[in-house]
Amino acid sequence: MASAIKKINPADFLKLEPTREKKIAQAEYGDITPETAYLPNKLAKALHPEVQYLVVKEVIAFSNDVKTYTLVADKEAGTENVAYFSAGQYLSVRLKVGDIEITRPYSISSCPKDALDGFYQLTIKRVDGGLASEYILDNWAEGTKVSVSAPQGTFTYERLRDVKTVIGVAGGSGITPFRALAKSIANGDEDFNLVLLYGSRTQADILFLDEFKAIEKECDKFKLVNVLSNEKVEGEESGFITAELIKKYAPEGNYSIFLCGPQAMYTFVDKEIETLGLRQKFIRHELFGEYRNPEKLEDYPEDIVGKTFKLTVSVCGVTKVVECNANETMLNAMERGGILAPANCRSGECGWCHSRLVSGNVYVPKRGDGRRLADLDFGYVHPCMTFALSDCEIDVPPFKA
Amino acid sequence: MSNYDVIVVGAGNGGLMAAANTSKAGLKTLLLEKHNLPGGCATSFRRGRFEFEPSLHELCGVGTKEQPGEIFGLFDELGAKVDWRYEDTMYRTIVKGENGYDVTVKAKREPFYDSMEEAVPGCREKVKAFIELNDKVDEALAYVDRKKGNPNPLVMVLKHSDFMRVCAHSTEEILDALEMPDKAKKILTTYWGYLGVPTDELNCMHFLSMLTSYMDNCAAMPYKRSHELSLALCDVIYKNGGEIRYNSEVTEFLYNEDGSIAGVVANGEKLYAKEVVSNVIANNVFTRSKGVKLPERDVKLAKSREFGISVATVYLGLDKSAEELGIKDYTVFIANNGDPRTQDDNRVNDGFYIVNCLNNVIPDSSPEGTCTLFFTTLIYGSDLPKDLKPQDYKKYKNDLAERLILDYEKTMGVNVMDHIEEISVATPVTFARYLGTPDGTIYGYKNAGWDNVIMRTTAQGKDNNVKGLSFVGGHGVRGDGYSSAYSTGATQGKVVVKKLKGDK
Repeated sequence: MASAIKKINPADFLKLEPTREKKIAQAEYGDITPETAYLPNKLAKALHPEVQYLVVKEVIAFSNDVKTYTLVADKEAGTENVAYFSAGQYLSVRLKVGDIEITRPYSISSCPKDALDGFYQLTIKRVDGGLASEYILDNWAEGTKVSVSAPQGTFTYERLRDVKTVIGVAGGSGITPFRALAKSIANGDEDFNLVLLYGSRTQADILFLDEFKAIEKECDKFKLVNVLSNEKVEGEESGFITAELIKKYAPEGNYSIFLCGPQAMYTFVDKEIETLGLRQKFIRHELFGEYRNPEKLEDYPEDIVGKTFKLTVSVCGVTKVVECNANETMLNAMERGGILAPANCRSGECGWCHSRLVSGNVYVPKRGDGRRLADLDFGYVHPCMTFALSDCEIDVPPFKA
Repeated sequence: MSNYDVIVVGAGNGGLMAAANTSKAGLKTLLLEKHNLPGGCATSFRRGRFEFEPSLHELCGVGTKEQPGEIFGLFDELGAKVDWRYEDTMYRTIVKGENGYDVTVKAKREPFYDSMEEAVPGCREKVKAFIELNDKVDEALAYVDRKKGNPNPLVMVLKHSDFMRVCAHSTEEILDALEMPDKAKKILTTYWGYLGVPTDELNCMHFLSMLTSYMDNCAAMPYKRSHELSLALCDVIYKNGGEIRYNSEVTEFLYNEDGSIAGVVANGEKLYAKEVVSNVIANNVFTRSKGVKLPERDVKLAKSREFGISVATVYLGLDKSAEELGIKDYTVFIANNGDPRTQDDNRVNDGFYIVNCLNNVIPDSSPEGTCTLFFTTLIYGSDLPKDLKPQDYKKYKNDLAERLILDYEKTMGVNVMDHIEEISVATPVTFARYLGTPDGTIYGYKNAGWDNVIMRTTAQGKDNNVKGLSFVGGHGVRGDGYSSAYSTGATQGKVVVKKLKGDK
């Protein structure tokens, strides 16, 4: 049997090296094509730029507390086009507020087609005491230069995963990704039915009402249901978004629920949804946002409340010590201490701030623990969702820009 | 100015292993990585309640504490802790259509031969003769090793002629010489895709060494996805005083006046070292080398090589368990035709694909009542539609995923579509993004023809002529694959240690 192989000539082995040498010798000495010339690399760069330099082209004020900013590529700064995205995604905006630099995620309220026309819109609502929203509303004007991340996030409609009808549950400024989704349904970029349950305090607080009404009129795949918590208006729902209300507007058969709003809304509506007995795959949340009061969570250690710890931060071998309050995330403490740390979602989910905890004890809320399994074994944290329980030392990657 | 003994550029499998070895030996080591995580492809990602394995199908050459293979040894000698899990079925291979088959092949030699004999009665002895050629290769390599790389040509011809045959010919040529029945040939070469080169171009020794490595050691994978492997190696680096910097892309390579490497630039900072080990493909190193006359041969080599294959992958988190869905196998290869060349020619039309269900090896790799599926199909970056625009990319990904899922459902008779809770799709664009390789290649250079693993090995002394600069990773001597990258990384790390510390 084995002798069958003898018909193969072993001396061919001697030809190997000369063949290779000849082939190499035939090449020309000269420039090598850079990777940026290849299609996959071009697409990767177009879809996921490291940073986008934008400039405010227009400010549309809904009120003193809510404004929509139209942002276009800042060609002078080196951004040729705004990156395309999926309706529902967000941008992480970098801001210099006083002496410190911070980042904040904001859903893109315009639709992907608008990006092809050269612009994004961000709609910012004032949060009382909100460092970022107050800064933007009071400072951004036509011509303001802004630097943002590539589009991020998974709060998108996926045709292979989601069913044909989505019940959108929006609260307050959580309406912004739904505007992108609704506009995309209207222009044919997305193909699903969206019933939007939109919670506002009063009729006067409803954002984009005329726009949504117009979309509803021209497109039978979109329906708006206003839910007013602080007033009763003929023809509008009142109260909170309950399981009963969802059932009232839900279609027969399966439907998905997409939620975007403040944390209090998630806490309330999640309990309501639980009673509907839906499979987990039909319930999708936008980012939870930063935790501000970890002490309210059941498993938070009592004796830590009110304490302040030393946080030793090392970035590329350069070390700085900042103070970290027990009730603020390590990310927040770093930013307050003048360290711009990498961050996108600020909700524990995306892992962009992934850092090594060199020493110290920490608390990570279960809901926001988006770490990978091995991270727990080898001591890694997402500073945006990590609270110090003692003095801590962390090794953080530099902000990439 | 920062000075290091060694700077390793890129924290992929090769870079991690090299840096772990140099720091373990006490060399002042800096590992630079452009992304915010280590591993390159050897990582993991989260979607909802799932943590997905992005790239590893199965590692070969691991073995156990009692019977360690090469890879187990590489991690063990560093003190890197990995919770290995094993799979004793090699693969299930399904070819659709009239002349199709559905065969499951077991690991370990005798069970493997039994599986082959059952599928193709009468092929056992031929299969055995083929597999045992690998033992002859091992004998020859041991001899070459004893002679410190300078074997007596006469001894080679007289005693190790089969080694020379296997090294100098394609898998297909050797199988044909053995008169392997067509069906047995197809089943035997199912794994060709792991090397990305169809068997008529794939060096026989290369294929045999991979196949027997899976067969003899069983396939292994880390309990907590590849992220565990990468963090275990980072842990070794930290414990031995090494430094790792993330978000730190090397934008320029620096040279001394005599053309030797001096260091690199990352985040605008100049960093110097006696030795630079690049996990970054040579093409990208050379395009980032300014003001130096690079050695003619190195440039010509880079210019004459073809890029290796990339992949398109679909990751699904399903809201039913594998058992409930009726998914019993870890690895299934599904094709329209059993012939590797035909599969490669039809790769864009899903000529063949691999489906893994990790829960069948690691039941708790996803929450109770759920499971994950991982589809892989081979594709070159250059296979993407030439006019693919950013705004069409999502549709391209969804269409690709849909074709694969529907075909899988039809072939296996299981319902997947109704249970998708999470979905993610990667293409050469994704790999171009995370790895930065030209054309989104994950396999470096095509390991075939004049540039196959044997050719690379014989030319090792000639290929890299920048003093102080060496290469590790999928584009290295042994080519792609976790095991190969770990192996070349460790070898090169040790070469650097020897260079800088002597035999002390």
